Amino acid sequence: MATLQSHPLLHAALLSLVSLAGTASWAQAQTVLAISAYPAVDEIAKAAIPAFKKKHPEVEVKITSRAFADHHTAMTTALSTASSLPDVMVLEYGYVGRFAEGGGLEDLGAAPYNLQSQQARIVSFAYRQGTTSAGKLVAMPTDIGPGTLLYRTDVLKKAGLTEADLTLSWDSYVASGIKIKAATGAYLMAHARDIKDIMIRADIKPGEGLYLDKNGKVLVDTPRFVRAFDLAKKVREQKLDGKIASWSNEWSEGFKRGTIATQMSGAWLAGHLSTWLAPDTKGQWRAAQLPEKAYGSWGGSFYSIPKGAKNKALAAEFIQMMTLTPELQLAAFKAQDAFPALLEVHNNAFFEQPIDFLGGQKARLLWRDAARKITAVEVHKLDPIADEIINTELDKVLDQGKDVRTALADAKALIERRAKR
Amino acid sequence: MRTDLLAPRAAYALVGVGALVMLLPFYFMFVFASHSRTEIFNLPPPLFFGSSFLSNLDILTTKIAFWRSLGWSLYVALASTALTLLFCSMGGYAFAMYEFRGKQPLFTLVMGTMLLPSFLGMIPSFMIMDAFGWIDQPRALYIPGAASAFGIFMMRQFVSSAIPRDLVEAARMDGCGEWGIYWRIVLPLLKPALGTLGLITFIASWNNFIGPLIVMRSPEMYTLPLALRSMQSPVNTEWGAVMAGSAIATLPLLVLFAISSRRLIDGLTAGAVK
Amino acid sequence: MRVGFLPRLSPAAAPYVLLSPFVLLFVVFGLFPLVFSFYLAFQSWEPTAGVSAMKFVGLDNFAFALTDEWFWKSLKNTAWLAVVSGVPQHVVAIPLAYFIHTSFKRSRNSVIGAYFLPYITSTVAIAMMFSTLFSTDYGLINLSLQALHGVPGLASLTPAEPTDWLGRAENIKPAIALVVFWRYVGFNTVLYLAALQTIPGDIYEAATMDGAGRWQQFWYITLPSLQPMIYFGVTLSMIGGLQLFEEPFILTGGRGGTDQTGMTTAMYMYRTAFEFNDFGGASALSWLLFVFVAVLTWLTNRAFKPRGPAA
Repeated sequence: MATLQSHPLLHAALLSLVSLAGTASWAQAQTVLAISAYPAVDEIAKAAIPAFKKKHPEVEVKITSRAFADHHTAMTTALSTASSLPDVMVLEYGYVGRFAEGGGLEDLGAAPYNLQSQQARIVSFAYRQGTTSAGKLVAMPTDIGPGTLLYRTDVLKKAGLTEADLTLSWDSYVASGIKIKAATGAYLMAHARDIKDIMIRADIKPGEGLYLDKNGKVLVDTPRFVRAFDLAKKVREQKLDGKIASWSNEWSEGFKRGTIATQMSGAWLAGHLSTWLAPDTKGQWRAAQLPEKAYGSWGGSFYSIPKGAKNKALAAEFIQMMTLTPELQLAAFKAQDAFPALLEVHNNAFFEQPIDFLGGQKARLLWRDAARKITAVEVHKLDPIADEIINTELDKVLDQGKDVRTALADAKALIERRAKR
Repeated sequence: MRTDLLAPRAAYALVGVGALVMLLPFYFMFVFASHSRTEIFNLPPPLFFGSSFLSNLDILTTKIAFWRSLGWSLYVALASTALTLLFCSMGGYAFAMYEFRGKQPLFTLVMGTMLLPSFLGMIPSFMIMDAFGWIDQPRALYIPGAASAFGIFMMRQFVSSAIPRDLVEAARMDGCGEWGIYWRIVLPLLKPALGTLGLITFIASWNNFIGPLIVMRSPEMYTLPLALRSMQSPVNTEWGAVMAGSAIATLPLLVLFAISSRRLIDGLTAGAVK
Repeated sequence: MRVGFLPRLSPAAAPYVLLSPFVLLFVVFGLFPLVFSFYLAFQSWEPTAGVSAMKFVGLDNFAFALTDEWFWKSLKNTAWLAVVSGVPQHVVAIPLAYFIHTSFKRSRNSVIGAYFLPYITSTVAIAMMFSTLFSTDYGLINLSLQALHGVPGLASLTPAEPTDWLGRAENIKPAIALVVFWRYVGFNTVLYLAALQTIPGDIYEAATMDGAGRWQQFWYITLPSLQPMIYFGVTLSMIGGLQLFEEPFILTGGRGGTDQTGMTTAMYMYRTAFEFNDFGGASALSWLLFVFVAVLTWLTNRAFKPRGPAA
């Protein structure tokens, strides 16, 4: 007399139960090293497992991979209750600051890890980025995303410009954009926000973070912000940006058709352009340093050990292997475009190889040069919200014609309000 | 009288067009599932089926344990549906047909929980699961959901409108026990509601990703939404494969809907109040 | 008439026994998170530092939220979206369900199926689909609008230029409302269809014999019988609408859109918790939203609640 609609479904349930029981893997009586990561670091770690197994055949390495944002949410949850923590926690550049200041990660610089002794082998800004304000190295860098300017050489030629015109200064960059628009109709950049993002990262004085300084003073009305906003506004007024969001159909189409003349991004974008975003535009792109000798990093990954981890010694070994073994760092670079944070790899012959997609340019030399010049930025816990406030004010400036100085003053007031809490 | 002739035809047309519009994004999902990611990002985007479905499937099954995750999703959704239907129909019937102390405050409290967004309970839920030792176990996904405020609300409303008090009183006077009334009289009359709630519960469980995100630590235990999301890197997602996975993931739901909608119609005959 | 293995239950004890499984689960899995989040609203907590980092701050979080212009902005966005996406759902679903119920016999399943499909689709697919459909230059929505613009008579209703749906502040909310409508109208239709099937057919037969037309039957028989279901459906839509999170989140890429016009309160809450790492603030926001929703639910209750013995 069952009234639930369950007969065929109950059957299916039983069947699936049985099949799952058959394929379930029961826990082995051996040590498990748990690594939590996101794509593509998970692939890089997976590829390194054989090398780790050689040293530790008795250890099973288990990699849990989640989507980028999900991963950090799950890690936040795990740290909040200090349970279900992995042994190795991968963190991304944008999140490292928050997690570092929280105090839930092991100090890798001190004993027994002593990674501080390896400081000279790592790209300096990345090492600084993984260090808390108290000087503890809580996250060991494994790859970085040195910023570069990718531009269409055919579009540039049509407008009668050279690379130097683009990179001499921000003003010349924008002026070139006007010429490009007039000669070819192409946009200088995808979105005016891009230029703001880079310009506010230039000229950061020691002791200053991006939006606030060490003493909590809000810096958003300083010259670098004013200049960034002014230029972004000019770019919009001159119709030099396509108002195109990254990773949208319009964006990739813009690359394919050459309607986006330049893109500032991490060096890894070149790899994506060649594999799937715009493979047919091979040979028409070149890489250059960012205008006015600006240097910045787009992304990057770090390894850390939570304080609640079970297998800290093994975790430390794994991290050392991934970050300090030249062969593995180079393999990750070749397979996943993960630019090595280990300096000695930069001397490898691979860097001298011409890149077909960029018309045979030896761009990796450019990028390793940039990597050395990037300066670390002090991280503050209000950075994410300040970022949002600044972007919202920029939207108002760009779309509603709001005055730059008023916008920045409003932003400052909003951030200060939050700083008081 | 003329409107009586014109209106139905126009209405049919409107409903038909509406149905097509509803289907459009769905159609695109299947179309995208058969294209490579370069093609997906073209402008104009592909309008018809392509030839990359098998290669997308290949990428899909290599990157994640797709079929296994499908199995887990099925198991959890079925258990969740069964438990929810049982507990909520019992509870909804109790709220609708009986008077008892604390009835209104309890119901208000239960309804109150519906007003809070689910993700705020993420961290306390995690604490509970951890305390029970339920991390990485499917039961952490289907047991809590059985106390669905939505489910009990829906059941209460259905019982109110479909089951007359006199029927229950008559059965009681005939000597039918309380369980008997519930099992033999109320449940059959609730068939359309059970079908609907069952469908909704199944779908909610199937598409739920916040629950598994908190509770599952091992990739072998992932349900489908989590597994599909884990393929999404900020810059390097295999969109064709993700679309193929999403398209396949909707098929069991379609099958389920086809089955249960027939029952919904049968429910019409079961609605005999005599 | 006993169900074999179950002990005899007295009518007095019956409700308690019937409710016990539900209540047990509810207390453990429903109440605890509620209480915890209430407790959190009075704390300042940065989650990655662990539970011990909680600091009592009294009503601070609430005071901050009530003077936060982003909170009020998000409430306005949320209310707008709830109304604009919610009302059409029911205005369309009820007649649609009635029409399907009475006019489609054989193709009923396919028609209902078509309307229900959006509800089944996962958010990943929706995000991808709609960002393509809303694309400014080549998206189907703009292409259709352009085509309709050419039809005489419709030119004044449709825009002349392609609309930038997801980029411009004034277009984001309608775009979100459209997606929400698309997603849930079928769901509501199914609910009403199920309810329509519990209305006995003889009432309609009697009415037809009395000479009542289709419209009169709908207005005087169907609608009143549907009242419990309408109460249910509207309450649900309202609660769901005020808690709107998924659709705005995926359509604005998690950032709220240009000038935060697409940011609902639930989304602001999520970002406060997981991006700005302020769990205390997020909890306070959720309780403020709760008050808002509770008041509106009470008002809906007064308006729609069915009176009568079964209520």
